[in-house]
Amino acid sequence: MSLVIKNLTKQYNQHKSGLTDYSITIEKGVLGLLGPNGAGKSTLMKIIATISKPTKGTLFLDDEDIVANPDKIRKILGYLPQDFGVYPNLNAYEFLEYIAAMKGVGGNGLRKRIDLLLEGVNLTADAKRPIGTYSGGMKQRIGIAQALLNDPKVLIFDEPTVGLDPEERVRFRQLISDLADDCIIILSSHIVSDIETIADEVAIMKNGILLNKAAQPDIIKLVDGKVFEVLVSNDEIAGIRTKHQVIDTSRQKDKTKVRFITRTGQPEMGAIAVNASLEDAYLFLTQNNN
Amino acid sequence: MRYIYSIIKADYLQRTRSYAFLITLAITFYAAYSFVPPPTASYTTLNVVGFKGVYNSAWVGYVSGMMTAIMLSLYGFFLVNGGIKKDIDTEVGLIIATTPITNFGYLLSKMLSNLLVLLTIAGCTFVVSIIMFFVRTSGSPFIISNFIIPYLLFVVPAMIFISSLAVVSEVFLGRKSILQYIAFFFFFGALMANVNGQKNETLAVIIDPYGVRTMTTSIKNQVNTQYHQHIEGVNLGFTFGGKRGFRIFEWNGITITSLFLTSRLLWLMISLGLVYLSSSFFHRFDFKQAVSKRKKVIANEQKPATPAFAATGINRALMPPLVTDYGIFPFIKTELLLLVRKGSKWLWLIIGAASLSMLFAPVAISHLYILPVLWFLQVTRLSELATKEETYRLHYFTYASYKPLQRMLPAQILAGVILCIVLAFPLVSRYIIAGNGYAIFNIISGAICIVLLAVCIGIISKGKKLFEIIFFLLTYALTQAIPVADYLGAIPHDSHIIYIAVILGLNVFLAVISFVVRGYQSRHL
Repeated sequence: MSLVIKNLTKQYNQHKSGLTDYSITIEKGVLGLLGPNGAGKSTLMKIIATISKPTKGTLFLDDEDIVANPDKIRKILGYLPQDFGVYPNLNAYEFLEYIAAMKGVGGNGLRKRIDLLLEGVNLTADAKRPIGTYSGGMKQRIGIAQALLNDPKVLIFDEPTVGLDPEERVRFRQLISDLADDCIIILSSHIVSDIETIADEVAIMKNGILLNKAAQPDIIKLVDGKVFEVLVSNDEIAGIRTKHQVIDTSRQKDKTKVRFITRTGQPEMGAIAVNASLEDAYLFLTQNNN
Repeated sequence: MRYIYSIIKADYLQRTRSYAFLITLAITFYAAYSFVPPPTASYTTLNVVGFKGVYNSAWVGYVSGMMTAIMLSLYGFFLVNGGIKKDIDTEVGLIIATTPITNFGYLLSKMLSNLLVLLTIAGCTFVVSIIMFFVRTSGSPFIISNFIIPYLLFVVPAMIFISSLAVVSEVFLGRKSILQYIAFFFFFGALMANVNGQKNETLAVIIDPYGVRTMTTSIKNQVNTQYHQHIEGVNLGFTFGGKRGFRIFEWNGITITSLFLTSRLLWLMISLGLVYLSSSFFHRFDFKQAVSKRKKVIANEQKPATPAFAATGINRALMPPLVTDYGIFPFIKTELLLLVRKGSKWLWLIIGAASLSMLFAPVAISHLYILPVLWFLQVTRLSELATKEETYRLHYFTYASYKPLQRMLPAQILAGVILCIVLAFPLVSRYIIAGNGYAIFNIISGAICIVLLAVCIGIISKGKKLFEIIFFLLTYALTQAIPVADYLGAIPHDSHIIYIAVILGLNVFLAVISFVVRGYQSRHL
């Protein structure tokens, strides 16, 4: 199964475009979408989820034109939007039954399916309370449960870890890994570490354009040997910023540890080379492509 | 003062930058045009039985000003009501609560932004009234003061009062919109009846926020003086009826007395006083309900160390086989559930009692008064039918679902129609016993009509407000037996066939617009 996107453009108006001539092929496994705000991640996901029509371009799922026939993908789609809501007067069972109806899931097994999903996201004990009384994390978990109701083959998660506490985030990553074997999973996040731990491939976007798409090691290779750390006084940081791309700073007593990508190939005196990470590569790509 | 100005500005911009406001403006332009009917029209807006005023600048200016004051009061309340609720829903209120602004300052800013919105609309009718003067008259001198005085002395005080009332009702009746609507409905009716029925002329001028009594008395005196008559009835508002013979009189506006000016000042003081008084009762976004709800959540979150996800994750192997069901019955069930759960339980008791009362009340009264009011009591439910997905941000799910247009939207419409018909059932059952198929048909097509109107306006305006205003006006007009407002066959019509055809045609039109626009929306998020 593969999702083939060719020359996709989404123009909201004369001055604002969401995507520009965007092409990508997505295979089974987890694709992590990384990009700053306004990069077009949500636009891309909405188009794949069939709730937004592209201005130009094509989108095929196994030779099926999704733009022309959106119902083809809707049957096998699980979608968790970034800022979804719930009907506060319904309880978890009623809400999931409602979503199941939307997805066309029914029959005698529906109740058991909902039970298992609620058990999986640990909401069984709260399943009969109105969702309006849930915490942010609980709502996010009910969102994850609804996405899995129809055994989806294409799963889209837009910023799924927002609202989850650290433990919930770890569990969520585990859940995604379990699902990745027979699904296309597209996952966007601002948090590079979330993508780093679960994505098989990473697509980095900016201003509606695909900057790079590759397996994680290949993307990290772009900055291999260019990442350094140095301990300096606060006065020296400005000087480093003019010569190199500063990735991060952290205070250590009266000094500051600066992590940077060298632009000149000549690191600072006393700087030591460190292993590059996905975050380094991401910042390198997004800050050097205007 | 800086805070107040900023709140007024933000609030005003927020309200006026919406489709609902644009549509309201369009309706206002049409209404302002209709305030000055052509001589051949089958209706009047100021009715003096047997007489007709000459169209001069006083007539056009005053009638337009008075109609604006009354009509805009009627639907303006619905238009501006909800400013505080918006701050609660968006949680902007929590930020405001932490600023140094006083309760009175905040409520005053809400009142003033309400006023600005209403005056924007009144400004439009003012311009249209001048245009209408040149359209409808020929040779009559244009006297600008005849346009300014009624807007200044009728419209502005009335709008200040309504702006204040909208704030006060929100403070005392909280987020219970339906209670505010009902209270205003009866308050407005009682006020108008009292103003028109008051025998003491001085008292009538004082208790009249609109100045309507001053104007009708002035016209009455003019006719009585000119024709040595003793007419009593001068009615403002749309009066429908055939053209009859009439005598012409010329009226040149009201005489501004100190009593009249004092009454204008009095209503201004009352309006500000009401806001000031209500500021002592203002919650400042600190709700007992919210606290108890929060406590519940916290209590739940503090349960000892239950992991967020089960350690085993979601075992898909244990899942029963996937069975597909693309029917719409599960949607109808959920939509009905949402309709029933909305609103308080005790209000359902009142609704139930009103519905059952149609078993015993005279059939004509049940059909013309009880049923329209009973359906209007569902206004917050119906207005939410096709807007709640966006309100609760569930539209991502619904639009991405399988055939949303063929399944979701029909389910919402059917649920609304079922609710209306169930409420009308006591009356329908009486018509069944009487064998009156025409009346039954009209009630069912009326239920479909009002639900489709709710859905259509909700989809187009992406909000509830516009439908709530229109439904209120429709209900008010229907209870005044105005034929054009009769969507449920409560008033006898000349031709059954034509009436049925009009309602059915309207239903088809509303359905087509709803499906086409929703179809577009579902692919263009």
